[in-house]
Amino acid sequence: MLKTRPAIFASLRFYSQNAEKPPLKLVAELRKLTEVSITKAREALAASNNDVSAALDWLQKDLAVSGAKKAAKVAHRAAGEGLVSASILSRGTGSSDGHGGVRAALVELNCETDFVARNALFGRLVADVAHTAAFLAESGSSRQLERTYVHPVPREQLLDAPLLSAEGPGLSPATRAGLGSQGTVGSAIRDSIAKLGENIVLQRAVTVTHDPIPRVRGDLGLRIVSYIHGGVLPTQGRIGALALIALKSPRLTPLLGTLNFCEELERIERSLARQIVGFDTSSIRGEEEGALYNQPFMMFGDALEGETVEAGLARWARQKQLVLDTDGTDAGGLEVAEFVKWTIGETADAL
Amino acid sequence: MKARARRPCYLKPASSRTFIVPRHVVHQARPLIVSPLPSRSGLRLGTCTPYLTALKAPLRGYAEAASVKFSRAKPHMNIGTIGHVDHGKTTLTAAITKVLSNRGGAKFTGYAEIDKAPEEKARGITINSAHVEYETDCRHYGHIDCPGHADYIKNMITGAAQMDGAIIVVSATDGQMPQTREHLLLARQVGIKRLVVFINKVDQISDPEMLELVDMEMRDLLSTYNFDGENTPIVMGSALAALESRDPEIGEQKITELIKACDEWLELPARDLEKPFLMPVEDVFSISGRGTVATGRVERGIATKGAEVEVVGLGAHFKTTLTGVEMFHKELDRGEAGDNMGALLRGVKREQMKRGQVIIAPGSMKPITKFQAQIYVLTKDEGGRFNPFMSNYRPQLFIRTADVTVALTWPEGIPDAAEKMVMPGDNVEMVCDLVHDVAAEVGSRFTLREGGKTIGTGIVTKILA
Repeated sequence: MLKTRPAIFASLRFYSQNAEKPPLKLVAELRKLTEVSITKAREALAASNNDVSAALDWLQKDLAVSGAKKAAKVAHRAAGEGLVSASILSRGTGSSDGHGGVRAALVELNCETDFVARNALFGRLVADVAHTAAFLAESGSSRQLERTYVHPVPREQLLDAPLLSAEGPGLSPATRAGLGSQGTVGSAIRDSIAKLGENIVLQRAVTVTHDPIPRVRGDLGLRIVSYIHGGVLPTQGRIGALALIALKSPRLTPLLGTLNFCEELERIERSLARQIVGFDTSSIRGEEEGALYNQPFMMFGDALEGETVEAGLARWARQKQLVLDTDGTDAGGLEVAEFVKWTIGETADAL
Repeated sequence: MKARARRPCYLKPASSRTFIVPRHVVHQARPLIVSPLPSRSGLRLGTCTPYLTALKAPLRGYAEAASVKFSRAKPHMNIGTIGHVDHGKTTLTAAITKVLSNRGGAKFTGYAEIDKAPEEKARGITINSAHVEYETDCRHYGHIDCPGHADYIKNMITGAAQMDGAIIVVSATDGQMPQTREHLLLARQVGIKRLVVFINKVDQISDPEMLELVDMEMRDLLSTYNFDGENTPIVMGSALAALESRDPEIGEQKITELIKACDEWLELPARDLEKPFLMPVEDVFSISGRGTVATGRVERGIATKGAEVEVVGLGAHFKTTLTGVEMFHKELDRGEAGDNMGALLRGVKREQMKRGQVIIAPGSMKPITKFQAQIYVLTKDEGGRFNPFMSNYRPQLFIRTADVTVALTWPEGIPDAAEKMVMPGDNVEMVCDLVHDVAAEVGSRFTLREGGKTIGTGIVTKILA
């Protein structure tokens, strides 16, 4: 009797640790690694004999299925919150990154509550999608005949694209553990739906690309700037804009070689981006109220009292010797060539 | 008894069956304290009984159904539910009203009714929030449920429904979600010190051991965000079961337990009467032969005649004695929260006092010129600014009866402060630098105005100078 008892206990214990009842510790560990729900974590451990790494693989496979199921379940729910995020891979003429071409993207992802919009997991997803859109954008050269540089990305095309991490390929294994290598943008969104439990929608995306301007046209420049407002991170928020800035001057190349000019240029670019976001801006020029050039340039610290954006830009160009009084009337200066401005929850008509 | 019996007579004379009085006459008769109508038409007191019973019956019914008598004297407290959209916040709220309505402490409010979260305006600001009220054995609760982070913040800043405590709702099947962190951060930000956790949907879980895990994780997380993870009550049940009146051991009983946990764990805010005396000065008069009288509405506390008080703000900071309290040209022994009173002050010249100062219990508040505040900037639709502003913006700050120019700047350590802008609709934490000192403390509310319109509202979060 005495001898059989431990045997029974042993078998009992073995039984309790068996596939049917994963220990709490492992469930907790798996949840720390993956942020999946308790039920899911348990299921994964049960299916993989309480082996955490096997459970991670199991979850990886399962997420495709359960994520899709969850996504279908929440698909009808209104998603009016979220983030607008910009990714600028190459800022254009005069910048040290990307050999002087322009390459950037603006994306909007929606979710249901601003709690999720403030969450780091969602923020990372949006940043990655923006990065992916900018990275995979078709080069501007194939579109040279068109007069615009801002192009909407078809939603389906972006959803099928492989998701690239905004933080670069050399990611710490911890963040990528478990459900790291997400595959496509679409599957990453479904994974996030499974984890966050809210409907997440890729609302719209645009890219701006332009090849570097050849050296022979040293008097021309094209640069990109973004401003995003109201988010936890500076590159993400509730309202944001990308603006393409054109420069023209016979002295452009030497000017861009001086540090001081570059700093001043970036400062006025940021002011322009803020001006577009902060004011009710709907066009660049024109008579209507939303025309950028008619607005008082309040977002530029050096602007004179009551000075319009147009006048402010002209004065700046003279001050910084981008144009001289002796130059002809069309000698150049700095202007906003194109911009795109989005607010979270606007009806999407970009796609 | 006499007064009670008479009350219905002049409350509802128009519906009297025994005499007909044209409506306009009734309206004229109303202001009269003792209605002459019944006696004039020869009615004895007894004939009033139809109205009496009509009025009394529902009252008594109410009192009988409740385990305790309806009483306004119960301390009031605002709580909110915070949680993931699918975890059953609304179901829980409905379940609480259902369980309490069985005891007479609430009117049952169904899921659909709560879920609407109607838009409302507080201090000109649009807030989405659903309100429900109910009563437990020892407290009266106002319960709010907002759809988003921004709505809770607006609620906090405007004071529309300041949350004194909250119930965090977590589903047992999912456990805490990534955004549960955001829920706890919000609770911290709006100044909630204690929470109660409700783990919902326990009927959907097969293994009770899993509940241990949810419990463990929640306590961990609570401690991470500086809540008392160890002692915070965690109640596990099913709101749906309570709502559907099944499985009372996880339904109704658990809701009762949750309510009890709220009663016991969540701390009551101090009541206005219990706080130190404060009266903002609205006007100052000099009455010959008596001295200087400052008038205003007492915001909180009690001051008795002869008490020592302090005058603070707009350059003043001195003590004096409250030699008299007057209301409606009559002398009183004391003034208390809610009273519109005149305060007669000993040895104070009229020139020493002006609108915008406060009369307080000595030492209860200090004059300040610089503080940090959480500010909500009104949108264009709410009547606010059309355009953004940058650091060093100078609107007028109105706090109680005071009106002072303020400079708004960013707190130290904010990157790119010179280029940071504030847009209408933003919630921001900014430093307020006043040109004159005013009496204020952490939790004092103020509004910002410019050119005759309200552009923002805020709450003091930190005193700097």
